[in-house]
Amino acid sequence: MPNKNGSVYGLTILSPIINDDKATPSHDLQIRDYLAKLSTREDSPFAVAPGTHLARLVVLDDVIYVGMPACEEHLKSKYLIFESNCDGDLDGYLHGLADAIADHLDAIWKHCVGYPGAANRQAFVDYMKACQLNTTFYFAAVNDKSVEDTLRALQTQTAVADFIATHQGNDPATLQREFIQFATELRARPIPRPGSMGSLRDIKTGGHNE
Amino acid sequence: MSKLNATDIQGFVLRGYNLPVARYLFLHFESASRARSLIARLLSHVTTGQRWDGSKPKSTVNIAFTQRGLVHLELPDATLLSFPVEFQQGMRHRSQILGDCGVNAPERWEAIWREDRVHAWLGINALTPEALDARCSALISAIEETGGATVLGSQDAAAVVIDGKPTTKEHFGYTDGFGNPDYLGVDRSSQPGQGKLMPNGSWAPLATGELLLGYADEAGELPVAPVPHLLASNGTFMVYRKLHQNVATFRGFLERQAAAYAGGKEKLAAKFIGRWQDGTPLELAPDNPDPSIAQDQNRSTNFTYGADAEGTRCPIGAHIRRVHPRDAFGFNGRLINRRRITRRGLPYGRFAADGDSVSDTEDRGVIFMALNASISRQFEFVQQQWVQYGNDSHLGNDKDPLMGNHGGHGRFVVQGDRNPANPPFICSHLPDFVELRGGDYFFLPSITALGMIAMGLVDPR
Amino acid sequence: MSNINGKVYAMNAITPMKPWKTWIVRGILFLLGHFKSLRQDVVDLSFIEFARWVVLPRRGFPFLGNGQERENLQYDYLLFFSNFNGTWNQYIDAFSAVLSKGLNLIWRWSEKFPGSVPVTNFKQYIALLQFDTDYYYSAYPNAAANDIESAHIVQSSLDQLAAMAERSSPQQFADAYLRFVLEVQCHLGATGDAPVAG
Repeated sequence: MPNKNGSVYGLTILSPIINDDKATPSHDLQIRDYLAKLSTREDSPFAVAPGTHLARLVVLDDVIYVGMPACEEHLKSKYLIFESNCDGDLDGYLHGLADAIADHLDAIWKHCVGYPGAANRQAFVDYMKACQLNTTFYFAAVNDKSVEDTLRALQTQTAVADFIATHQGNDPATLQREFIQFATELRARPIPRPGSMGSLRDIKTGGHNE
Repeated sequence: MSKLNATDIQGFVLRGYNLPVARYLFLHFESASRARSLIARLLSHVTTGQRWDGSKPKSTVNIAFTQRGLVHLELPDATLLSFPVEFQQGMRHRSQILGDCGVNAPERWEAIWREDRVHAWLGINALTPEALDARCSALISAIEETGGATVLGSQDAAAVVIDGKPTTKEHFGYTDGFGNPDYLGVDRSSQPGQGKLMPNGSWAPLATGELLLGYADEAGELPVAPVPHLLASNGTFMVYRKLHQNVATFRGFLERQAAAYAGGKEKLAAKFIGRWQDGTPLELAPDNPDPSIAQDQNRSTNFTYGADAEGTRCPIGAHIRRVHPRDAFGFNGRLINRRRITRRGLPYGRFAADGDSVSDTEDRGVIFMALNASISRQFEFVQQQWVQYGNDSHLGNDKDPLMGNHGGHGRFVVQGDRNPANPPFICSHLPDFVELRGGDYFFLPSITALGMIAMGLVDPR
Repeated sequence: MSNINGKVYAMNAITPMKPWKTWIVRGILFLLGHFKSLRQDVVDLSFIEFARWVVLPRRGFPFLGNGQERENLQYDYLLFFSNFNGTWNQYIDAFSAVLSKGLNLIWRWSEKFPGSVPVTNFKQYIALLQFDTDYYYSAYPNAAANDIESAHIVQSSLDQLAAMAERSSPQQFADAYLRFVLEVQCHLGATGDAPVAG
């Protein structure tokens, strides 16, 4: 079934944004402004709420005019796209968002038509489902590991490389003893916080010149 | 495809001259009209790609310009703006993209390269130091008589001489000079393994447009090029980088690591590059160097990595495997055909044989020059994605062991197998073996284009 | 606002399709979803973490009343969202070099698609219909798809070794350890910043 790939879910939400000439700035710009200031790291709402591998929020201003002989047409509203790649089932994920980050959800989606607020769980879930698009084809490179599994594995990978590098040439007894200690300690180590393992991107490069 | 007009292409582009000594002069223009007269004078010196029937000339001359040089020659704005962005910016401003930070950062470059003052490169290659000096005198006379430029500085380079004969060795002791690609229509002695891999396992020349502007490239189109066509065609772009080599650090590191490596020092040195010090590829001779392979043109570059997916013969992160992955990324090598570069260049500084005392502060290294139709798609890509990074080889952030800017934190994994002489081994805390001392991006025009520039006749259209 | 977070790039694209062509695209995407061999090349390219196509029919835009105007469109739209590693140019170059037939199959039904080969025209088309991401989150921004795949291999091998470590003799352990190192030796690349990141 299209939205799912293994244990990951491809959620695509398209929310119409309120079209109000009297709003200054307009609702879509207010969303953009809020998102511009929102952290994308371990204090991101999607790091705080569980289950999100990768997610994006995009304001869709309009459809694209590709040029003649194609026809020019325009959308009557702007839309907020929420594309998420998450663990578990849809209801669980949405409830998780509402439980953990209701303030952020409200701050963003209050600019969208018919948004009931996250306080009323059922209304919130119904609203999201009303805005959900069917993901026609969903590709996931890894589709059977949760966010926690992945963070743990990345931590393990670094630790193992260090262990192997620092135990070259050990005699078997020492190696075994040190390994057992290492494995025990690693198992007890808390997993890194989601979103925490990147650094701030202050260089603006990229795009079409690389 | 159309036959190449070798008389219109600078010889430096079409083939390595195999002349053992070189001097590179760096020029600065003031007056555009005097600079143009200088170029008109130099035209009679510039060596073309015409084949030398009989003996080699005693010396050759070639010329290339930075964006600032073309600006000072007062080419039309529309032409200047049509050059690729990376060329317009110059190499110093691309340092973030290239990983030229830490010891390689522009703040630490030689003064001549720190200030965007280099406008032209004059490359002189010669058979003997006397011929080199003679030709340089003639060029300096032309410069002085026309008043067309000031010489900001010069750089000497020379093939390493061992037992009285020039070799292709470089300062770490490796034998260099195997990797240059084959291109369609470029007449040079070529060997299997230098071109692109075909589905049936044979090697074919790369599309001409990977090297020369104005010809079809591997993507089935004419490469993006500046206007007008006549200015760009038969020209190419050159990357110039002065790479200082920390030979003492390298030897010390190798010595210490080899003490813990069961395969021995020679083998560990080979694992770094992917070839034994005599040039034998590890892929063909994993246990011992084999001169019969190293010196056989039909074999020394004729191999693929398909049978060595685990890197147990040639490590996955070894230098030559990184910069020319051949079939290692699958898809019959199609992901790498547009990432090839032609290297020219020579070592500089006093060669110290193994056992001679040596210090990192001594001035020695290699003048690295790369020729390609697109600096960003070819050289910059390889430097950014394959040398200073390892994702395409599934090596994460690990860098090229020799060329990487490790800063003391680098790691190099030598994949191994159950053979006790070929164990898996990790080298840690890699220092910077190579330091960038400066350089820039140049445009190497055709003979026709040089004439147009000299006469001030460039018209964007 | 940025399309890039650590090692991953969020590309958004929207193309118009004449409605009768939409069914063809649905059919192709259905086959793609059900036949693994068709997806193998994408898997082998290994620089995509997640990607999706969403067919958005002209009457499929959510309508929630409350003063919203109903859309009145002629075209159906195909939305494409990709989370990939590497630069924009690298990504498109790779697909154009290796998967042009597959790309053509899906996008030739979009208006004015120029073909995925040669690549320069293709890049111009993408630049036209790509729209930018306002907010991009990754739980593991310093890990590319390859890093993640390697990490899971290392975790799995480690778990197996750890399970037998206590009950074996030193020599048995040493043998098992060598086997472990050989299993993970191609998977130990460090994670960290992407090449152009500050």
